[in-house]
Amino acid sequence: MSESILEIRGLNKHFGPTYANRNIDFTLGRGEVHGLLGENGSGKSTLLSQIAGLYRCDSGEMSVNGEKYDPHSPLDANARGISMVMQELGVIGSLPAGVNVFLGRTGQFSKGGIVDLGEMNRAAAAVFEKWELPMPRLGRLTEGMSIEERKMIELARALSIDPEILLLDEVTQSLSLNNRNRLYELIAKFRDMGRSVIVITHDIEEMVQITDVITVLRDGEVVGRVNTKDTDPDKLRMMMVGRNISGDYYRDDNVPECDGETVLEVRGLSVPGELEDVSFDVHAGEILGFCGLSDAGIHSVGKAVFGLTGAAGTVHFLPTDAYIKSAPQALANHMGYVPKDRDNEALMIHANIRDNSVLPSVNELKGPLGLLAPGKVSSLADGIVKRFSVKTTGIRQPMDALSGGNKQKVNLGRWLAKDLRLLILDCPTRGVDVGVKAAIYSLMKEAKKTGIAVILISDELTEVLGMADRLLVMKDGRVTREIRRDEDFTEQAVIGVMI
Amino acid sequence: MPANGETRRMKNWVFYIIFAAVIAAVLVIFHFISGRQFLDWSNVKGIISRSAYPCFIAWGFCFLFACGYTDMSIGGVVVLGSFASCILGNWFGLPGVIIGGLVVGLLLIFINFLIFTYSGIPSWIAGISLAMIYEALAFLLKISKGTKALISTSLAKEYRILGQLPWCLILLLIGFVIVYFIYNRTTVGLNIRALGGNKDVAEKLGINTKKTLLFVGLIAGILVGVSCVLQQSYAGQTTVKTGLTSINMIFQPLAIYLLAQIIRERINIVVCVPICAFILYSIFNLLTMLGVPSGTLQEAFLGAFIVIFGIIGSRKVKGVVK
Amino acid sequence: MKSRVKLSDLVPFIAFVVLFVFFSIGTKGKMLSSYSLKMLIEQSILTIISGCGVLFVVAQGSIDLTVGVNVALSGVVAMHVAHVTGQGWLMVPVALAVGLAMGLFNGFIVSKCHVPSFTLSIAMLIGVRGVVNFIQTKIGVEYVPQSMLFMTSSAFRIGAFFVIAIIMAYLFEFTKLGRYSRAIGENETTARFVGVPVDRMKIAVFALSGLMAGFGALFSMATVGGTTQTMGVFLEMKVAMGVFFGGVLVTGGSSAKFYKIILGALSITIIVYGLSLMGMSDSHISQSVEGGLLLVILFLTILANRKKTRLEVLHDGPHDVPKSPDAPQAPEAPQA
Repeated sequence: MSESILEIRGLNKHFGPTYANRNIDFTLGRGEVHGLLGENGSGKSTLLSQIAGLYRCDSGEMSVNGEKYDPHSPLDANARGISMVMQELGVIGSLPAGVNVFLGRTGQFSKGGIVDLGEMNRAAAAVFEKWELPMPRLGRLTEGMSIEERKMIELARALSIDPEILLLDEVTQSLSLNNRNRLYELIAKFRDMGRSVIVITHDIEEMVQITDVITVLRDGEVVGRVNTKDTDPDKLRMMMVGRNISGDYYRDDNVPECDGETVLEVRGLSVPGELEDVSFDVHAGEILGFCGLSDAGIHSVGKAVFGLTGAAGTVHFLPTDAYIKSAPQALANHMGYVPKDRDNEALMIHANIRDNSVLPSVNELKGPLGLLAPGKVSSLADGIVKRFSVKTTGIRQPMDALSGGNKQKVNLGRWLAKDLRLLILDCPTRGVDVGVKAAIYSLMKEAKKTGIAVILISDELTEVLGMADRLLVMKDGRVTREIRRDEDFTEQAVIGVMI
Repeated sequence: MPANGETRRMKNWVFYIIFAAVIAAVLVIFHFISGRQFLDWSNVKGIISRSAYPCFIAWGFCFLFACGYTDMSIGGVVVLGSFASCILGNWFGLPGVIIGGLVVGLLLIFINFLIFTYSGIPSWIAGISLAMIYEALAFLLKISKGTKALISTSLAKEYRILGQLPWCLILLLIGFVIVYFIYNRTTVGLNIRALGGNKDVAEKLGINTKKTLLFVGLIAGILVGVSCVLQQSYAGQTTVKTGLTSINMIFQPLAIYLLAQIIRERINIVVCVPICAFILYSIFNLLTMLGVPSGTLQEAFLGAFIVIFGIIGSRKVKGVVK
Repeated sequence: MKSRVKLSDLVPFIAFVVLFVFFSIGTKGKMLSSYSLKMLIEQSILTIISGCGVLFVVAQGSIDLTVGVNVALSGVVAMHVAHVTGQGWLMVPVALAVGLAMGLFNGFIVSKCHVPSFTLSIAMLIGVRGVVNFIQTKIGVEYVPQSMLFMTSSAFRIGAFFVIAIIMAYLFEFTKLGRYSRAIGENETTARFVGVPVDRMKIAVFALSGLMAGFGALFSMATVGGTTQTMGVFLEMKVAMGVFFGGVLVTGGSSAKFYKIILGALSITIIVYGLSLMGMSDSHISQSVEGGLLLVILFLTILANRKKTRLEVLHDGPHDVPKSPDAPQAPEAPQA
């Protein structure tokens, strides 16, 4: 491509002990549409956020148009002609659409202290018209609007500063087909004007269709940069997920054990918009893997089986002949669930290890008169800390003082300390370092030996391939294929079905 | 898509018309239930002047709640402000009435917000503590050491005109226009609402949290100040409240705000407040006419009203509610 | 944090000790007489009894400001039933049943209809007080019937208080109900994902809080000898002050401890009673001192707790752990 507009050298970013970005080098050319590709957690959103001024870099340098660029806030980024549409940010529901477009900058329409709403709405309308976006009712509060309309407002907000560089993080996933096409046209127009775009999308075909250059990230590092015309979706997928499976921490056999006693029978599980008619069995001593792209619904399976979503269909737990309809019922029936978002869904982050450890075992520890004897509670927590070698100063240490890996050990350990028959693991190794990863895999093998049925849901394909006896590939909320460990259990085969 | 916009605009107009028609119908029904007394002009006048001061406090609540705060000491502030209004009014006439209430209301609410913003104490608990202090202050001011009344507590009749028509209606209208503009048409107003809507987003868009919160103190302070003036002018005197009874004074404005909030998606909340205030006091008025005793069953109606509308307003809410 | 005792947990102790020493000296030792100590306990009883139910609600991160009106309603109804039927003992089950029923209603509205507990509290505060006033205009003030006069002896009251307080402390610190409630306050999503029956727990604690208000009504009538016009007036605020004075955070969770409500209620009583012993019988000075002290102690608790404090009650503040952008959005913050 021609001259570069954005240069990044040796960028690092870590959250606590885990690196989100490691030594990133990146160049964006003028008039270039640049795609960032990678699995979940590969650091692409973090990279974009740093460019947009949402996170400070821990080390490394950025420059825009050859001048040093070190944004402290999105406003700094805007001042340098960079704006971003974020995956999650959203609009403010209690404010009208037009105000949302110029929020934080409403002062520019102020005359004698009064914001000229008419002028502001006209300016907002001009943005929508200029970029041919569908216009919402600018005077209406956004809380009643659809996700798509809200996304368009965010897009207009990013475009309203007339940016030189536009950053788009997973914008298309919430758009319908015709608005996607509008967005593609917008991107093309942007390029024709000599401006640049960085795009993140999970849809590889889409990425190939709209970008000029693609940078692939894996585990926070750049693994390759290719010209789009020289590549194809399959090659990109290989770059994304193609990682050497190191034999020592995954399983080394390829013998599926799917013949144990059936523990769980799931039939016709459906959640509107997330799951459609999902059915499967899980057996004692089996690890059943689930994989799929980000919108395939694999994470919804875990929630639904544990009775958290009120899904249609039946979840029949055979050892006690119970039909699971709620989470308390699942808890009472020897089921365990490790959700994906450790800090927000699994752990009480401000409470101590003891309180977190005991939470799933309250019913078992109950003595006469409902007594939860402090001694029993402490020895349970001590047991977990010892057995899973949690690095801590003691069971009264608050959770947020632990590293991600040790948090996860407590999180997983408190379930394994119970008399479980079925354990649902949703991305159990997310954001933990290699050592803890290995520990978690060996715990899974151990659990398998003791006859616990494990449902392993993961965004990391290698992990599922490394650990599962059987694999269910999902797409658009449906199970599309079942593969056993002794069959065609390779990345290529699975990726072929996933897409 | 203009066609779509047109139909929506149409729908909105239909909603407004239906809304107005329902209110009109309700008032007419009230009129007949009350034996053709309700819509009598003198009666309506009474309702309007009674609605005026709670209305200003309710507008204050719009700003407070918009940024996620609440202030339980407003009752105490109103007592002190009304006192100041009364004393200065009796000394300096009408300007004294206005300045007394306004200055005290503004000052105290601003102090409250300084405390809320910088101490990190949850606002409603800090508000309770402040209410205790203000009540005690009011008491000390009123009672001299020999428990003789230090000052005359009622405002001279000639200075009470602000509490009656047409003045209270004029003040309401002026207040309405100003509040409407601040809430909807100023950077500060928009920033306050952004802060309450989603603090993270607001901060990322460069809105200064602390500065904005102090502005809330300023605006709410002025509104409470005006309501001090109106309260004193309407009632002519203020009874000292102790033992946290001053909190009772904010229940009705709070009810007005809660009612207004429920329809805010369709009608701007600043517009809703006076409408709801009028409806609320109309109901009280009707109940009084029907012989339902005030201070007892009327309050029971009000409580039930808030619960029912609270349920209707929360029916779409998902996720964590505390 | 290396020490096992957190600074924030010490604040209420320090406050209590400082207040106690200050007033012991200030009253020239009058505070330490057995009579004064007994008065201290007697005057704290109602706050603590009604407060230990509220503690569960606060532990969950909600608030119950209905105890005051609940005490009034259950007391007035119970006393009237006792008089009408002529069966004095009936006042006990009736007070408890009315209190419990109102608590159940609150719990249902908060958990199933998603009405914020603060809004509901305010509505109940207005509405139920109206109902109570109405009932009282019809039946007036009534006195404890002859057969139940044993309740009014202070030995009986203090005895009953200790029994109830011990049971509640046990429930809060050593049973599932307490543990689950603190978990809900720490993180409701987490609690739900582990399998805690969140809705049921919410109803349970509001019901418990109502039941304790029923007990509170009995204690209140036993102390005064009957119902009064101002029964339970602003008791809810006193209770809330006691809970927060004791160092419980509004967000609840692990910061909620049983001893804190006891310390908080005693501290407040010490201020009020101590000031009156010092000759400042003017309750209004004591009120402003109380208010000022409350602010200072809350501020100290929050300072000591800085890391854990979230700014506002009605909103879930920002998490202090950086969220990776790939993480799914936490549930939307509730609207006040």
